[in-house]
Amino acid sequence: MIARFLLKMAAATSMVTPRGSGSVLAQTSGGGVHVPTHERFVLDNGITLVIVPRRDVPLVAFNAVLRGGGLGDAPVKPGVASLVAGLLEKGAGNRDAYAFADAVEGVGGSFNAGAGAESITIRGQFLARDQQLMLELLGDALLRPRFEVEELETLRSRHIEMIKAAKDSDPSELIGLYGRAFLFQDHPYGRPVIGSETSLAAIAQHDVLDYYASQFGADRLTLVFAGDVDSAWLKRMVTKVFAGWRRAPVPAAKLLRPARVRDRRVLLIDSPGSVQTYFWIGNVGVDRRYPQRAALDLVNTLYGGRFTSLLNTELRIKSGLSYGARSGFTRGTVPGEFAIHSFAQTEHTAQAIDLSLQTLTRLKREGVTAEMLDSARAYVLGQYPLSFETATDWAAAMGEIELYGLGPDYIDNYGPTLRKVTLQDAREVITEAFPTPDALAIVLVGDAAKIRDQVKGYGTITDMTLTQPAFDPAEVIPVAGG
Amino acid sequence: MNLGSPSAAAAMPVAGVPGRDTVRETTLANGLKVIVWPVHDIPNVALYNWVRAGSRNEAPGITGLAHFFEHMMFNGTTRRQLGEFDRLMEAQGGANNAFTSDDVTVYQDWFPRGALDLVFDLEADRVGNLAFVPQVIESERGVVYSERRLRVEDNNQGLLGEQVQATAFVAHPYQNPTIGWPADIQSWQMSDLQKFFKTYYAPNNLTLVLAGDLVPEHVFALARKYFEPLPRQAAPAPVRTQEPEQIGERLVVVRRKAQTPLLQYAYKAPAAADPRGPAVNLLLSILVDGDASRLHRSLVEDKRVAIEVSGHWQEGFDPGLLWLYLTLPEGSDPAEVQTVLDAELADVVKNGVTAAELSRAKNLTAAGFWKKLATIDGKAQLLGEYEVFHGNWAKLFAAPGQFEKVTREEIHAVARDILERRRRTAGVLMPTSDDGEESAEADIEDADLDVSEDVEA
Repeated sequence: MIARFLLKMAAATSMVTPRGSGSVLAQTSGGGVHVPTHERFVLDNGITLVIVPRRDVPLVAFNAVLRGGGLGDAPVKPGVASLVAGLLEKGAGNRDAYAFADAVEGVGGSFNAGAGAESITIRGQFLARDQQLMLELLGDALLRPRFEVEELETLRSRHIEMIKAAKDSDPSELIGLYGRAFLFQDHPYGRPVIGSETSLAAIAQHDVLDYYASQFGADRLTLVFAGDVDSAWLKRMVTKVFAGWRRAPVPAAKLLRPARVRDRRVLLIDSPGSVQTYFWIGNVGVDRRYPQRAALDLVNTLYGGRFTSLLNTELRIKSGLSYGARSGFTRGTVPGEFAIHSFAQTEHTAQAIDLSLQTLTRLKREGVTAEMLDSARAYVLGQYPLSFETATDWAAAMGEIELYGLGPDYIDNYGPTLRKVTLQDAREVITEAFPTPDALAIVLVGDAAKIRDQVKGYGTITDMTLTQPAFDPAEVIPVAGG
Repeated sequence: MNLGSPSAAAAMPVAGVPGRDTVRETTLANGLKVIVWPVHDIPNVALYNWVRAGSRNEAPGITGLAHFFEHMMFNGTTRRQLGEFDRLMEAQGGANNAFTSDDVTVYQDWFPRGALDLVFDLEADRVGNLAFVPQVIESERGVVYSERRLRVEDNNQGLLGEQVQATAFVAHPYQNPTIGWPADIQSWQMSDLQKFFKTYYAPNNLTLVLAGDLVPEHVFALARKYFEPLPRQAAPAPVRTQEPEQIGERLVVVRRKAQTPLLQYAYKAPAAADPRGPAVNLLLSILVDGDASRLHRSLVEDKRVAIEVSGHWQEGFDPGLLWLYLTLPEGSDPAEVQTVLDAELADVVKNGVTAAELSRAKNLTAAGFWKKLATIDGKAQLLGEYEVFHGNWAKLFAAPGQFEKVTREEIHAVARDILERRRRTAGVLMPTSDDGEESAEADIEDADLDVSEDVEA
């Protein structure tokens, strides 16, 4: 089954997705948004507990957010947080890995742990009648993970092999990792949270145990439950299950603001025989608390966030050069990247990149019109409620609000703010948040021998190969056997 | 806390699927069927336009044409310029996409309820008045070819899958890759397009399914206003070809620059409407769904001969394929992995599955079903699937019961029927180094094969 357009094409950059509200807003005209009635507690040991009751289906969704994630990794050894997350469900408490999976799947539940740049999250869903089991598994995973060496070895080699497999079958999926390494360099946002083939190979059990000892603790945790729950019961049970969990010995690492690149530089990743060149063009953007977020979402919608965007119009609709082109902002505690993603036939690499840069120049020079802004406003407002239909959606949103310390206004005020965005606001974000075409990190995965001449004018070229076991061209490759 | 062991957990309760009594349908004079599920949780609507045309309806020379239409339907009509469809829809808050499979082409719109009139206008306009402009067609060929590079030529899983599918069928058009063979993408003619469009984009060959903040009578009135003027066409010719019984295992070996070897099995499997359907789905779930599944546990966790195992049953109008996809660690020998995989499958065929396995698969399937039904998009999709592939949307509401009543004996029976070596096509992707030499020492089992092909890619 193949689709018209890759809706999730920029997944690797985690596009800024407009968030909307659930059933409460049915009465208001498009996009009116309110966080549903919920309860929020901070338990004695520092755990933040958020409960969002919704009784439409007999399910409970959960989202456990543990502050830290990739920030807790040593700079030279990214990938530890990701392995720690994966191991939480590979044996905990009285259950080994098999018993744990049997417990989850036996009742039709889900339990998925993963690491991001600033947090480890466990998300899942159980039938309401299984919520005691759900709490027991969450408690075991967070308080009593086994971290058995054999499970570590299996998971570590799977992570390494999965990176290799992705290089064979979906290089565009990985390009954001190369892009961030090239753009952010030594800043923690530059590290691949999943690790590199090289860094993963060097991770031992003590790295995992050290991470758990320093980065896990009650004060780092937000627990969100959404669905068919009894708040009083749930609060009592969470207090009991997590009673006595210590605080983390250290607070989560503080992030410095990353520096933008001030010139144009090219990372050319050689994939001999590739018939298409996959490219990523970025610079440092803005953070999660960026005050002009509504205007930012409107301008990015117009630039590269929907089918008729300037980018997709040039690269797909008008020229037929590419299946698609998109742009997006990743906004963390500090500014993440703005990035353009697309691809084109090897022979047309430069033509597609030129068009991308020209649209950026045009945006910076000409801005957007009132008519465009109104169209984007209608689009974002109209799509908004679709992200907030289910208990799972709400569990995710409330976890994000807690992680970044945003408060319910982040959702409640979004619609009203969108309605008020002016052309002046749009001009401001185009100046502040979008990079200038002369200061960009450009990453290309393609047949280097065939594209080098086409791209040498864009800036100083740094070379690496797709099979090199790292995402950062500067990462030192250990001598074999060392 | 003392909790019962999970294997003792009861099956997920089969609550009736709510909403059956609120769904309405009507069929226009020209044969277009419209189905509406009013759901007022959010002020939005999901619309699915199901076109009964897929790569199954193609012939040599026009492979990929159904998918090409999936693109062309957005590229202007005699009333509206190229790009206007999207511009108008987005300006009223709507987004869209579309997909093509072996059996159908489906157009999806998600929009605020206020855009309903516009969406009907746009959808009927492109079915009634599609423009055929030569330079637009040429440009879209480029887009589709770029999609082919992404999904097949630069994608080892996609490349191997295309070869396996083409080998698994010797007669039935399910052998056609949905994206199309390269030469066909580059050469189909204007007359091919016009003929295909007239045949398959007729109102009597479409089903509109809407879920969301709607009043059915209002939807039916809009359907009559915009769609009823479109003339009914002669019903498309049925696909007469039936795939003959497969009489021996087939093997495709693709040698290609890669780091990880790949292994795919495609077994001949029943059509979507086959009464054994729920048992087939549950069997697949037992084999590959989740960390506790048979093949994941055995191949990925215990023996560590694979890094990923997944599967898919192509549920179509005609008997299709049940797929297993394995990604292997670098340097491993696919023949050895095949031995392990074959032993696991033979065990299921010989001994069937356990009660705990079946209960787990039923619970996971039910959870997946409810998860889908939690959104208007999932509701529109499921209603459409049951209407198009099972003949009646109302069967959706009986689906949980159909899964719940499947027995271990029925699972055992479908395992015996499907997991038969004689009726499978195996695909192996053997990594080569840049100079074309095989990088791993490996022998491909070639016993009892009736067809063996080597594909240099």
